[in-house]
Amino acid sequence: MKYKGHILEVNNLCLSLCNSDGTPVRILNDLTFNVRSGEILGLIGDSGSGKTMTALAISGLLSEFAKIDSGDIIFEGEDLVKKSAKERRMLLGEKIGIIFQDPSSALDPLQTVESNLSEIISIRDGDKEEGHKRIINMLKTVGFEDPEQIAKRYPHRLSGGQRQRVLIAGAALMNPSLLIADEPTSSLDTVTSMSIMQLLHEMCQEMGISILFISHNLNAVRNFCDRVMVMKEGTIVDYDTSWDIMGQPKSAFTAELLMKSRLDPDKLGISQGRSQEGAPSVLSAEGLSAGYRYADFRNKKTNAVIHDINFEILEGDCVGLIGSSGCGKTTLVKTILGLNNPTSGTVHKNGRVAAVFQDPVSSLNPAHTVRWHLKEALKASGRTLSKTEQEPYFLKILEDVGLSAKHLTRFPHQMSGGQRQKAAIAMCLVQEPSVIIADEPFSALDASSQASIIKLLSDINTKKGTTMLIVSHNLRVIRAMCSKVLVMDKGKIVESGDTDKILENPSAEATHKLLKARMYGV
Amino acid sequence: MNPSANSKKYLIIGTALIAIVIAFFLIGLVWTPYGINSTDSASKFMAPCAEHIFGTDNLGRDVFSRCLAAARYTLLVSFAGVAVALALGTITGLLAGYFGGLLDKVIMVLSNSVMCFPGILLALVAVAVFGPSLYNVIWALGLVFAPTFARVYRSSTIELLGRDYILSAKVMKVNPIRIMFVHILPNLMSQILPAVIIGLANMTLFESGMSYLGLGVQPPAASYGKMLADAQSYMVTAPWLIIFPTLMLVCYILGLYFISEWVRTSMRGGSK
Repeated sequence: MKYKGHILEVNNLCLSLCNSDGTPVRILNDLTFNVRSGEILGLIGDSGSGKTMTALAISGLLSEFAKIDSGDIIFEGEDLVKKSAKERRMLLGEKIGIIFQDPSSALDPLQTVESNLSEIISIRDGDKEEGHKRIINMLKTVGFEDPEQIAKRYPHRLSGGQRQRVLIAGAALMNPSLLIADEPTSSLDTVTSMSIMQLLHEMCQEMGISILFISHNLNAVRNFCDRVMVMKEGTIVDYDTSWDIMGQPKSAFTAELLMKSRLDPDKLGISQGRSQEGAPSVLSAEGLSAGYRYADFRNKKTNAVIHDINFEILEGDCVGLIGSSGCGKTTLVKTILGLNNPTSGTVHKNGRVAAVFQDPVSSLNPAHTVRWHLKEALKASGRTLSKTEQEPYFLKILEDVGLSAKHLTRFPHQMSGGQRQKAAIAMCLVQEPSVIIADEPFSALDASSQASIIKLLSDINTKKGTTMLIVSHNLRVIRAMCSKVLVMDKGKIVESGDTDKILENPSAEATHKLLKARMYGV
Repeated sequence: MNPSANSKKYLIIGTALIAIVIAFFLIGLVWTPYGINSTDSASKFMAPCAEHIFGTDNLGRDVFSRCLAAARYTLLVSFAGVAVALALGTITGLLAGYFGGLLDKVIMVLSNSVMCFPGILLALVAVAVFGPSLYNVIWALGLVFAPTFARVYRSSTIELLGRDYILSAKVMKVNPIRIMFVHILPNLMSQILPAVIIGLANMTLFESGMSYLGLGVQPPAASYGKMLADAQSYMVTAPWLIIFPTLMLVCYILGLYFISEWVRTSMRGGSK
């Protein structure tokens, strides 16, 4: 029986974290909010604003370095702050569910999906048959067409979206009153994000679960949350119904966040990169197929991921590669880059190909400075510059990407996600490539960093004439930057050609789905 | 209780304990109150007193002077042994992790085979075959400990291979040897540091054990293990012969464990 009224009330919550020398630093400042029974409350803010700390404080998963200084967290009429760690641990299994941001690290890699999920059930009841049925039913509920097969798989054989569904199934199996979803869609593509959000919405309505939905994307929660709370530096700056927040934000911060998250091409000053008449081909693929090899005791087998891919990119073009998660975009990119051997077909490259990857955290080597990275890229390109020429050259490249001399001596951990991506782009420019392949370079960044990276890549394409292949979920960006687009579905290119024509008049079902997701603001 | 304050205590206690052994080592290099091997039949079995602060042994040798001299062998064997193990383990672990396949299998089968046997037994066999000498002890201990480091390097290398910056290096066609030693190796320091510290402590225990059995540092050179072996017949009548070398070993090993605990807790704090 679900609790009626305010399921969660947080009153004047203050929280501090101990830094390395033991002095406490205030992270959350006087937070007061509530979650009504059966509602979805969105919690929005830039990275480092205290969203995850709020979630951890409610769930009781705070680290030993964190301390609640004052305030109370009332869940179903009981103050959680006063409860012992053991009592809170019980609540976490029974009444509060949590889904984390990174689905790859939240599942035990050595256990199958079923074993992972049965861990949750075995805590509460013992019957194996009954448990299996419940797991299969729940996997069906979260949208798997073949739940029996999925149950037998190990997490590494699932895509990001599938893993996130498994985690949601795990949370739903506990039938909690409150589900905390900490950026569950930020690592997923538009179609998968939309389906995950629809799934959460259905669970909220059918099972009466209240959801605290944390995200850094204001647009994404537009049609999804009942109310929205905006956080900045540990305090709540806006707290209203989502309609009001989107229409009339009370704080300047929310208004700015809204504007940035819209990624308006006119305001950013970007245009579509197009090849000139008679431009030579710089990158092409003919009948390209690739996959992953695995061995089952006797035989080596190949699990084909992409099949018979054909495309041609001309000099100066900016080409977008779109498709839902698990469709084979990253495998295609890796095969083009030579990181994955094709099983058949060929890739023709005319000149050097450089790459920018998705994750700003691992895009640069944490043990070395930006200068070292640029030197390494210069060395790799086979060019040599004297010491006196090197420094001004690096400074010019850094200036081109919007960084300055001071960043040369910085280590990756001393820079923000956006700055790291810019440094990774600077590495590409040092190599003077004919093609830059960018695999979702902005999807893991917050709104303001996204805008600057998009502008930078567009400028490199249109002003320097470097050919681009951009993999992205964001159709708005693809439309603004790319003159041509390749649409992938189930390992094949299902549609290709002029971006405007395809997005206005799509013929493939996959393109329809991507466009539909965009309409939801995901 | 503040966890970082707790970890600082480990560092302070650990450093203080190791500082004692290092002070003995440095003083022993330039000065000892008596000759390390000078015997004096008139002052056999003297209990600690103003003249001989750690007492004297069955040959009238000053225990304090011998403790000062023995510190150099303890430090030399532990550091040189770890250096050998680290060098071998680094190269094999990186090669196995980076290239995988058959090379990985061969290296892992070899290192698993070494790890199947008790380390001290293998070291004793190696020294028995090649003859007891300081350099053979160092080589033997290095070989015995190398698989431990190789395993740490191998698993960490495999983990790093999927990172974007390593993929980026591969795309730039950087030489694999350079990727291993310049791109991957510096990122493994945090994993390898605790293994090195524990390796130093274990190496010291092994060296003392081997010297105790007469297969380590050879007489007349002083080593704590050999001093303990010589003293065991007089354990009851002259307990100081056991107590002081034991205290030196305890100081060094306990100090290393405290520092490894500090490294562990501070890394855990850092990762959060």
